[in-house]
Amino acid sequence: MKNKFLLIGLGMAAFFILVAVFAPFISPYDPTAIDQDELLAPPSRSHLFGTDSLGRDLLSRIIYGSRVSLSIGFVAVIIATCFGLFVGSCAGFYSGLLDSIVMRFVDIMLCFPTFFLILAVVAVFEPSIFNIMLVIGLTGWMGTARLIRAEILSLKDREFIQAARAIGASNARIITRHLIPNAIGPVLVNATLGIASAILLESGLSFLGLGVQPPTPSWGNILIESKSTLGVAWWITVFPGLAILVTILSFNFLSEGLKKKFG
Amino acid sequence: MSNLLEVRDLKVDFLLDGRAFRVVDGVGLDIREGESVILAGESGSGKTITSLCFTKILPRGARIADGRITFNGIDLLGLDADALIGIRGKDIAYIFQEPVSYLNPVFSIGDQIAEAVILHQKKTKREAFALAKELLMQVGINDPQRVLFDYPHQLSGGMNQRAFIAMALASNPRLLIADEPTTSLDVTTEAMILDLLMRLKDKNKFSLLFITHNLSIAKRIAERVYIMHKGRIVESGDTKEIFDSPRHAHTKELIRAYEKIGRI
Repeated sequence: MKNKFLLIGLGMAAFFILVAVFAPFISPYDPTAIDQDELLAPPSRSHLFGTDSLGRDLLSRIIYGSRVSLSIGFVAVIIATCFGLFVGSCAGFYSGLLDSIVMRFVDIMLCFPTFFLILAVVAVFEPSIFNIMLVIGLTGWMGTARLIRAEILSLKDREFIQAARAIGASNARIITRHLIPNAIGPVLVNATLGIASAILLESGLSFLGLGVQPPTPSWGNILIESKSTLGVAWWITVFPGLAILVTILSFNFLSEGLKKKFG
Repeated sequence: MSNLLEVRDLKVDFLLDGRAFRVVDGVGLDIREGESVILAGESGSGKTITSLCFTKILPRGARIADGRITFNGIDLLGLDADALIGIRGKDIAYIFQEPVSYLNPVFSIGDQIAEAVILHQKKTKREAFALAKELLMQVGINDPQRVLFDYPHQLSGGMNQRAFIAMALASNPRLLIADEPTTSLDVTTEAMILDLLMRLKDKNKFSLLFITHNLSIAKRIAERVYIMHKGRIVESGDTKEIFDSPRHAHTKELIRAYEKIGRI
C-alpha cells in the first residue's frame, strides 16, 4: 500500500487513542495531585513536561486531558454523523417537498456562526462534558447531511437500487443497506476531519472558560492557566499546544488518506 | 391451463416538464402457468416499462394512467406498498440486462443472495448462506464457496448473470421476468444462460416472460410471442405461427433483421 497519509495518520491517531485509553497506567502522577515544593518547575527528569502553578505534573494532565479532548471529538462527530446521515438520506431519497424543507433548514443552520451558537447554548446550560459533546454534535451535522444527500441523489436511480426494489426490499432497507454503504466513503472522510475540528472547538471553548471545567484537565483549559504564566513558564503553553497541533494533524492526515483510498 | 398474469388495457405515461407522454398505450397480455412467453420489440417500444408495472417498480416520472393487472387472482394495481413488497421477489422476480450494474458493488455475491432469501423467508443468516450456496450450484457455478465471497467486479458477465438468476430464484417465484438478460453477454454465454433458464423453468415450474429485441431467441425458448411497437402490442400468437405467417409490418421487419444476421 502506497498510501502514506493513511498510514501516518492512522499510526498517530492510534497512538493518541491508546494514550487516552491507558491514561491511568502511563501517566507518572495523579493529574490533580498538588506538589507544593514543585511550583512551576521546568521540564526535568522527574517532571518531563514540567509542572503548573499549583505544582501539578503537566505530562499527566496532558495525558488525562487527551481522554476528555478525544472523547469529545469522537462522540460529537458520532452524533453529528448519525444525525446528518439520517437527515441527508431521507432528504435525498424522498426528494420533493421534504427535501426542500430539510435543505432550507440546513441552509439556515449554516448561516449561524457555529462558535457563537455554541457559546450561547453553553452560557445557558451548564458546560458539562456531555452538554459540550451534544452541542458540538448538533451544530456540526449539516455538512454530512449535504454530502450524503448529494451521494444518494446520484445513487438512487442506479440499476442495483432498481434490483433491490425488485427483490422486495423496503425503502428503509434500501436506504440503510444499499444506499448508505455505497455513499459512506466521503462521509467517513468528512467525519475524520470533523473529529479534528471538534477537538479544536472544545479547546477553544475550554480556553474561554466555557468548556470543560477545572479541575478536570482538558487541553483547552490547561492553556487558560498558561496565560498568566507565559512569561515565566513556556512549557505550560507549548506542550498542550503541541498536543492539540499534532492530534489535529494526525486526523487531517487520516482524512487525506481516506480521501485517496475512496477515490 | 389458467392465466397466472392478465394485463388489460395498460397505459403508462412519462411526465416531462409537466406534459404527459404515453409510452405504453393499451397493452394487454396473458401468461399462463408454467408457460414461457416472449415480449419482443425494438428499443424504446415500452417492453421494459410494461414489465416493471407488474410490481410497480417504475422509474421516477413514470405513472400508470389506466389498466388492470391481475396476478393469480389478485388485483396488483390496487395493492398498497407493503403488500407489493411482499410480492416483489417472492411471487414475481426479475432478472435484468447488464448484471454487473444491477448487483450492488459493495456487497459480496453471497450477501446479496442471502438478502433476497431473508427478505421473504424466515431464515437465519447462516441458513440463508447455505441456501445461497445451493442456489449458486443450481445455476451451474462450479465453485460456489469461492463465488459466495466474491464481489461483482471480480466475476465475468456470465457468472454475474448466473448469480443474479440465483438471487431471483431465491424464493421460488411463480413468474420470472427476464429483461434482455443475455443482451450484454457474448454468444456462447448467451446460449448457456438460455439453456440454464429453460432447465430451471422445467424444474421449478415458474412462468417466464422473456423480453428481447432479438426474435431468434423466440424460436429457441418461447411457446407464444407478443410483438410490441411504439407502446402497443401489434401482433401476438404461437411462435410457429408468427414465424410462418407474420401479419404486421413490424413483425416482418424483426424477422427479416434476424434472417439477415443469420446469413452472415
